Amino acid sequence: MSTTRRQFLKKGALGAAALTLPIPLFGQTAKPGAARFAPSQWLRIDADGRTVLVVAHSEMGQGVRTSLAMILAEELDADWKSIVIEQASPGPDYPNTGTGGSDSVASSWKPLREAGAAAREMLVEAAAKKWAVPSSDCRAQMGAVVHSGSGRKATYGELVALASALPIPKQPRLKEAKDFRLVGTRVPRIDGPGIVTGHAAYGIDTRVPGMLYAAVAVCPVKGGRLVRFDAAKAKAVAGVSDVVTIEGGVAVLAQDTFAALSGRDALGVIWDEGGNAKLTTEDLWSRIDRAAEKPGRSTRKSGDAGTALAAAATRLSASYRTPFQAHATLEPGNTTARVEGGSCEIWSPTQSPDRVRKEAAKLLGIAPEKVTVHVTLIGGGFGRRLDADYALEAVAVARVAKRPVQVVWSRSDDFLRDRVHPGARVDLSAGLDASGRLVAWTHTATTFHLSMFGGYDANEDPDGNPWGGYDNPYDIANMAVGWNEIESPIHTGAWRAVYYPANVFARECFLDEVAVKAGKDPLALRLALLAGPSPFTFGKNSVDRAGLARVLKLAADKAGWATPSAPRAGRRSGRGLACNIYDGGTLIAQVADVSVGAKGDVQVHRVVTAVDCGQIVNLSGVEGQVESGVIWGLSYALKGEVTIAAGRVAQTSFADYPVLRLDEMPRLETHAVPGNGAPHGMGEMPVPCVAPAVANAIAAATGKRVRQLPIRPADLV
Amino acid sequence: MASFSITVNGRAQAVEAGNPEMPLLWVLRDTLGLTGTKYGCGAGACGACTVHVDGQAMRSCQVSIQAAAGRRITTIEGLSEDGRHPCQLAWLAEDVAQCGYCQPGMIMTTAALSAGKKPAGQEQIEAALSAHICRCGTYGRMQRAVGRIVAGGKS
Repeated sequence: MSTTRRQFLKKGALGAAALTLPIPLFGQTAKPGAARFAPSQWLRIDADGRTVLVVAHSEMGQGVRTSLAMILAEELDADWKSIVIEQASPGPDYPNTGTGGSDSVASSWKPLREAGAAAREMLVEAAAKKWAVPSSDCRAQMGAVVHSGSGRKATYGELVALASALPIPKQPRLKEAKDFRLVGTRVPRIDGPGIVTGHAAYGIDTRVPGMLYAAVAVCPVKGGRLVRFDAAKAKAVAGVSDVVTIEGGVAVLAQDTFAALSGRDALGVIWDEGGNAKLTTEDLWSRIDRAAEKPGRSTRKSGDAGTALAAAATRLSASYRTPFQAHATLEPGNTTARVEGGSCEIWSPTQSPDRVRKEAAKLLGIAPEKVTVHVTLIGGGFGRRLDADYALEAVAVARVAKRPVQVVWSRSDDFLRDRVHPGARVDLSAGLDASGRLVAWTHTATTFHLSMFGGYDANEDPDGNPWGGYDNPYDIANMAVGWNEIESPIHTGAWRAVYYPANVFARECFLDEVAVKAGKDPLALRLALLAGPSPFTFGKNSVDRAGLARVLKLAADKAGWATPSAPRAGRRSGRGLACNIYDGGTLIAQVADVSVGAKGDVQVHRVVTAVDCGQIVNLSGVEGQVESGVIWGLSYALKGEVTIAAGRVAQTSFADYPVLRLDEMPRLETHAVPGNGAPHGMGEMPVPCVAPAVANAIAAATGKRVRQLPIRPADLV
Repeated sequence: MASFSITVNGRAQAVEAGNPEMPLLWVLRDTLGLTGTKYGCGAGACGACTVHVDGQAMRSCQVSIQAAAGRRITTIEGLSEDGRHPCQLAWLAEDVAQCGYCQPGMIMTTAALSAGKKPAGQEQIEAALSAHICRCGTYGRMQRAVGRIVAGGKS
């Protein structure tokens, strides 16, 4: 049985149920008399006051090293200036280091607060003992404990030995939100100084004594095999040390990356490309179209959509398509590995350290305890790095090379070997009664399975799919949602927001089609459909319709929905909106102002976002993720498309896979609502509404519906 | 194996290279260990590998060691001694970086254009940065950072 993405992320690659991270040392004492206070695996304080906070999720730009450290530091009342971040390696203390599903802050919130609060209580207790005063008269403040009556002060460093001898409180008292002084503010990225000086180390920056660089040739078509190659020609290239074979590939080892890549070019490898060698994008779409003829597995059903549609006064239906997508992370695939003496050490820019550890152990036939994974900074993840493929490749090469090796993928390797996010087709139909009320809705999504998470399984748990269709927030009496997932002949994988972008694009655009048909304003129609019972529950899901209506109204107000968008000479102007709830958590609404020229060229002038992600941890991070998600969504809406020719990804560079650039930036306005309760994620949430808001704005400007991405100017003339 | 003399971050160095066409990028990263200069595409399309060659912003993946010989090279590590170059400070003040991988290139382009007797204006710097790629989409904050630099720290 394969593992669905959500299961994969929530359980971790080891299958350990670790939704909340345990603090195993609770109920014991830290080490009595120690020179270092380490009450849990999440933090330690040295006698000089240096405070190490441990982060067990991968930093790939979402700011997790900063936000998780803020949670710890808040409850610890640490002096932010005295803290040092340490990246955890997977092991018994850190059983779930996987990073995905925008889950890091949400899943770490409670355990990290408890860890920080427990340490703070122990330090306060230590000071009270030292001064022989009641601990209720002492308080923690900026890395020190202060006695209220006398004003006496002891730094955390001075209290290390005393605090270490104390019992660890089982239920430390957490702060009230009103007392937060760090959480909820804008805190600059903790890695910022390293990044702007070039000292921040990504995977590709790993340098291990004695290491060689490797470029690996693999068959460009999935399922092909090696026929022959000329090692001598590669070895004739200056700087090349050796040529070795691994399962499925040939590795050229060299003194530098350039020599490795040049040596690989000289190999003259001949492949038997196998049965997929003639595969094209058209073949993939015809597989999707054939599958879409079936109703799909029913994943959500209320009322009787079929009967309601048949009885409707007005019916409409449409098919939406979203393209195959590359991740195009700026740091290409790479990993450094050393295999010696029955153990293995890996330095990898990975979102799946647990998985890398487990699969490397399996590959080498050693225990996972013998594998150490160092998680480096990551130059862009976006779901690509949930796979362990490039890390395992480095392990395989290092095993044969018998010395440390860094495998580096070229840019074209990175496109060719991407785990492409599959194209999707979404079929929708709607029925309106005689008064124009929306009474029936069907939504069926058809796409390829994500091979990154394992083999295809027709009986796999649909796992809330289609995301965005299954958890449709609107109050519609008769609804039927279907899910058609088919086996992929190409490597496929998760991509920022995974299934949401395709399904929210289709849902939110089709809802605008309904509004036009019913003669209603798109905002008014949505607000009416969100006026139903809230929170609305079905299955294990809870939908906060009232909350979504609040952010939708806020976005519309800030964007000036009531007034027409500004006219632009020689261009057609329009405004569009979309909203969504991500996995029952973050509520988001976006409004786009666009104009379309005579040749169909689209300019996006402004995107207004309103978001409620629960408790905000780092406001700068929340805003940054909105800004990032909008740009990502615009690249998706306007530019990105992977095509398959001769069984392989046809794109090889940024020249044929364009992404948004600075001069195409719209004005961005972000309104993060201070939310209640625990925080929800932000990494993926701002992506799905961008394309439908833009497409709806284009329809408002031109009267032309956009039902396929990327948006093509030729369709808008 | 031929030897080439280059000055990197103020230090004259002799670099051995088996192939005179070896891009400066890999000399910096693999031979000299200056990994702040990033590899993004190897084709001059993304700008992540931008360094200064005799004060001009250039993509080090497009400059061979042969062509770099005798030149003054400045990398992100050598932009300032203390990390307090106006561009670095402006970047930090606007909390620009996300994954951060493209940022050394962005900063080097901005630093080259904003230096000298006739520093470039906002529009000119933005035009140059538009030939770079940031996959995280930090462009908005980058524009604000450039605004600070152009204003000479007065904003």
